[in-house]
Amino acid sequence: MNKKIPLAILLTATATAALAGPIEEQIRFRQSAYSFAAWNIQKIKAQVVDHPETYNKDTVAAAANAIAAVANSGLGALYGEGTDQGIGWKQTRLKPEFFQKKDEAIKIANTFNEAANELAKVAATGDVNLIKTQFGKVGESCKSCHDLIRIKE
Amino acid sequence: MKVTIHIWDLPHRLFHWLLAVSVVAAYITAKIGGELIDWHGRLGIFILGLLVFRLIWGFIGSTHSRFSTFFPTFSRITAYLKGQWQGIGHNPLGAISVIALLTAVAVQVGTGLFANDDIAFEGPLFDYIDKDFSDKLTGLHSTTFYILLGFVVLHLIAIVFYRFVKKTNLVKPMLTGKKEVPRALAETLAPEHTTIAFGAVRFILSLIITSTVVWGVSGGVTQLYPIQNQQQAANESTTTTVAPPAPSSF
Ligand code: HEM
Ligand code: HEM
Repeated sequence: MNKKIPLAILLTATATAALAGPIEEQIRFRQSAYSFAAWNIQKIKAQVVDHPETYNKDTVAAAANAIAAVANSGLGALYGEGTDQGIGWKQTRLKPEFFQKKDEAIKIANTFNEAANELAKVAATGDVNLIKTQFGKVGESCKSCHDLIRIKE
Repeated sequence: MKVTIHIWDLPHRLFHWLLAVSVVAAYITAKIGGELIDWHGRLGIFILGLLVFRLIWGFIGSTHSRFSTFFPTFSRITAYLKGQWQGIGHNPLGAISVIALLTAVAVQVGTGLFANDDIAFEGPLFDYIDKDFSDKLTGLHSTTFYILLGFVVLHLIAIVFYRFVKKTNLVKPMLTGKKEVPRALAETLAPEHTTIAFGAVRFILSLIITSTVVWGVSGGVTQLYPIQNQQQAANESTTTTVAPPAPSSF
């Protein structure tokens, strides 16, 4: 019994590492994932909010699908033990308190997933007003997570 | 025996209440984020306009709006500390508070213009600096807000203190522009201290300068002088404001 606990920890740790790689790699991948989501969010903003005359259903739907794909990719695997310290593309901005606030963060991450999936759904319909509202909800979920677990510069 | 005199002119009062309302609105929209961040930006630009206007009005407004009549000079402060200061506009302590508040709002607007939210919003001057610096200013923007908040709280405490301890209502003059002062005091003052010359020409002139500055900062300059490093600008923002019309296989 006593020997099994460290073994279990070791096994989980190896499994996580196998899925997500060492600390710096996890940080690098998650920075990339969010940057890629941001690029797509900005395309939607450009065509739906800022310059509606340039709206193109396919571009926006493709962008929304990309965001949903990021959200559904299991980003949680990139938040392993120790990833609050380290350099990916640059110094990570994950707050050390993240590990105490995990439950709250998971809740927000789920909101983000639902919002992103819904955005992909409405983007496919081409209803610009719905897209606009849903785009706002996705943005809010980005922000609430940044407020909770991301260090302010 | 008290007499009623005119103290704050209409543009000054409008400035004050519009500033108060828009700063509160800017705070709320920033905290909610999402679609409202665009409104946060618009409110910020509007506040920039209010500030520019106030700065001009501090030189060409009516008597008590002018910085020269209330600037907390050394002699005014010493007189005030000795209890010898006399006047009807801002006393030296009030003047320090005014300057602190205006400066804090200016810092807020100044950093905001270069800020970004890493989601889908950039201040209008974002393209003039690199992303790292913008991130730094964004961080500052979030922290310096608490300094502004502190000054606002002191401002409100002072108003309550005057109302209940010194039995002076400061809010009413800021609404009506009129203030009651002892006749003896009023009689010692020059006429321009007790009446308001509204000055439509000065007002319109201020508005013209203000709108020019606001137009320039919020996009006019970028239009007239496109950013030198087109490639960099294109990478940073133009690609996102003019997204490709349709996805291709690459
Ligand atoms: C579509 C919504 C989102 C957008 C557009 C977005 C955007 C970004 C961007 C651009 C970065 C900077 C990446 C870099 O430093 O290169 C970032 C970092 C980060 N985001 Fe988000 N994000 C979104 C949703 C979320 C959600 C839902 C969470 C919480 C689960 C989150 C947590 C973080 C964290 C912790 C970082 C710092 C990563 C690190 O430096 O290691 N983001 N985000
Ligand atoms: C007096 C005027 C302003 C006030 C009182 C103000 C206040 C604030 C506050 C309190 C925040 C932080 C929200 C948070 O921590 O969750 C914020 C964020 C922000 N503000 Fe302002 N702001 C002002 C002007 C501006 C201007 C002029 C711009 C640009 C046009 C701007 C752009 C931004 C951006 C991009 C953020 C998001 C930062 C982030 O997500 O980390 N602000 N503002």
